[in-house]
Amino acid sequence: MPREIAFHGVYMPTMTLMFLVALGVGWALDRFISGLDLYRFFWHPALLRLSLFVCLFGAMALTVYR
Amino acid sequence: MTSLSAPLRRLGELQWRRGFFEWARSDGVTWVYIFKTLLAAFVTLWLAMRLELPQPRTAMITVFIVMQLQSGHVFAKSFYRFLGTIAGSVVTVALIALFAQNTVLFLPSLMIWFGICSAGAVRHRNFKGYGFVLAGYTAAFIGLPALAHPEGAFMAAMWRVLEISLGLIVSTAVSAAILPQSASTSMRNALYQRFGVFAGFVAHGLRGNSQRDAFESTNVRFISEAVGLESLRGVVAFEDPHMRRRSGRVSRLNSEFMAITTRFNALHQLLERIRARGHAEVVTAIEPGLQALATLLDRYAGRALTDADAHQLAEQMALYKEELPSHVRRLRAIFVESNPSEDDLLDFHTAYELLYRFVDELLSYAQTHASLADHSHAREKWDEPFMPQTSWWVSAAAALRAMSVLGLLGSYWIATAWPSGATMTLVAAATVGLSAAAPNPKRMSFQMACGTMLGAVVGFAETFFVFPWIDGFPLLCMVLAPVIVFGAFLASRPQWAGYGLGLLIFFSIGSVPDNVTVYNAYAFINDYIGMVIGMLACAAAGAIILPPNSRWLWSRLEHNLREQVVFAISGKLRGLGSAFESRTRDVLNQAYGLAAGKPEVQRNLLRWMFVVLEVGHAIIELRREQAILPVHPAYAESQSWRQAIRVMGRSLIRLFIQPSRANLERSLAAVDQAIYCVRDTDEPFARHFDTSALRRVQSYLHFIRSSLLDPQSPLAELAPPRPPKD
Repeated sequence: MPREIAFHGVYMPTMTLMFLVALGVGWALDRFISGLDLYRFFWHPALLRLSLFVCLFGAMALTVYR
Repeated sequence: MTSLSAPLRRLGELQWRRGFFEWARSDGVTWVYIFKTLLAAFVTLWLAMRLELPQPRTAMITVFIVMQLQSGHVFAKSFYRFLGTIAGSVVTVALIALFAQNTVLFLPSLMIWFGICSAGAVRHRNFKGYGFVLAGYTAAFIGLPALAHPEGAFMAAMWRVLEISLGLIVSTAVSAAILPQSASTSMRNALYQRFGVFAGFVAHGLRGNSQRDAFESTNVRFISEAVGLESLRGVVAFEDPHMRRRSGRVSRLNSEFMAITTRFNALHQLLERIRARGHAEVVTAIEPGLQALATLLDRYAGRALTDADAHQLAEQMALYKEELPSHVRRLRAIFVESNPSEDDLLDFHTAYELLYRFVDELLSYAQTHASLADHSHAREKWDEPFMPQTSWWVSAAAALRAMSVLGLLGSYWIATAWPSGATMTLVAAATVGLSAAAPNPKRMSFQMACGTMLGAVVGFAETFFVFPWIDGFPLLCMVLAPVIVFGAFLASRPQWAGYGLGLLIFFSIGSVPDNVTVYNAYAFINDYIGMVIGMLACAAAGAIILPPNSRWLWSRLEHNLREQVVFAISGKLRGLGSAFESRTRDVLNQAYGLAAGKPEVQRNLLRWMFVVLEVGHAIIELRREQAILPVHPAYAESQSWRQAIRVMGRSLIRLFIQPSRANLERSLAAVDQAIYCVRDTDEPFARHFDTSALRRVQSYLHFIRSSLLDPQSPLAELAPPRPPKD
């Protein structure tokens, strides 16, 4: 993947885009988990959400910087 | 927290165990908050410096502003702060693009934008309002410094958005992940304990041994809790998926709670009036039914209502409700034998009508509460939301205050070309914004000015005597930490919040270094002088320009309160009950807060609220009864009793908009007329307690009449001295 992408003539880091995508995917996952009431199996839901987001974003970032 | 329990158990064996846990619950929370603020601030500062953002301190200040004790508040504040910042940036860039060369046009348009935002902030009063505050002062923060070199405005706006986003991300992550204090726990506690208090209150009131003062203060407490719970509900939805699934039920619970408190107040007032009139036989006739309910509720008094308790309560209420009609029929038969007067019989009917509906609503409340145990439930669908109500006058006053501060200081700056004028103006803008929603903006601004002065002294010492000696980020953290700890401590205490906020924000604005540190003592001192002058100007404006805790505003809000009766009479029927209850309470809650320290005014407002709630609630019931009448000539629109009720509605509107003796007399006559008309109408069905629509209508009319005649109400002052009846 290229490290920068052109958006209407403005170069911006792919990471920014990845961040937004990861936010969206994280939100969808959160909705899914809370819809099935799976959070009751976890000790610290907020930490779980944060960790999930970090995993998603990290995995996406690895495709660019590796 | 469970992983901590092993070492804590060993601690628990010591003598001071109780003391330690008490500390952990009270002061411990504050220290956790301070620690989290410190951590979030330094992580943000480090990241901002590492990413070479132009103003790392902006990111750090964001942390101070959004950090709260509970993580739900941090989420909500961050979300709206982000939206507000974006809106403010877009507007500034647009304004700069339009009027860069012309200050005379730029400043007034900025003023108008700022006024709109301040009005919006006061109108919403919760975190949404905070978004408006931000939209206003971000515009000033970007626009004013950019006026000198407009070509940099776009980049300044971009950087500011990035810096603020960084601060928001770090503070939400820290507050949610590290030793979280969740707002949903406190909401659940508030919700569960409220019913315990209410059960005790009802049991006391039904037995007729409640004091007037206690009755009023408990009601004030319920009102502020109802308003607080609604704002907490908005916050918790950001934080906790578990409670978000129950959001509709919590909203419903709150609305039902307001309905039962109003209903109970009505019943209580009616009983008080009957007792005060000294008609012992009516009281003895009513009492057995009340006693049974009081004993039932005694079990729940003074403790938190868990889901299981709620389930049990629902079953008991259902049983009680089922038995009530036959019970009442028996009591009524005994009562009728004693040949009561028509008024007394009406009192009896009205009291039991109210009691029956109270029990019905209590049952519904208990069922909703019990439904919280399920993950999804049919009761979640609730489309009668809490409706806040703010007087346009209050918003307009805030807008005027904000615009005049910005206009005055901005023109002074442009007229004198004082280099620190921009700082002065934008700090004044920030102070006006941050203090707009405070109940006493003058005090808040003054506290912030004091905090800033302290920040200036400390900042001067640090910048010119300490910073030259230190090297590297860890040492910088070391020297900043004491100031931040002290500021965060002050900010966590409500009575000193202004000092803490002033110290934290304005110490950071002036004294936290950028990547390239600049030592310029003249500019430093000038800027701080500008900041303090700006804040004092805000304090002065808060005291002079339409101060919110003054007479005109109370009378405005009192008028607003009375207007709720007009709303009850002429509003759309769908969702009217909930809207009426919440709006009335919201207005009273605001007015009560603004009148703090003036018990006479507060009492007067409270008395008006009782009349408004009683009359408004009865009218809504009347309208509901009329809406569901079966099709029959006796119930036709053209019937005299329906016309009489319409006439009564109009006379009540006149009375509550302009309370005067003539209007009161006209209303009383109209109510009497309506009662006669209803009595003289023949009904197709038997006139029985629980089947007759007209009997219920008559009960509500009688109740309105007794509210208007209540010697405790503010309307009593208008009434001509009456000869004692009977």
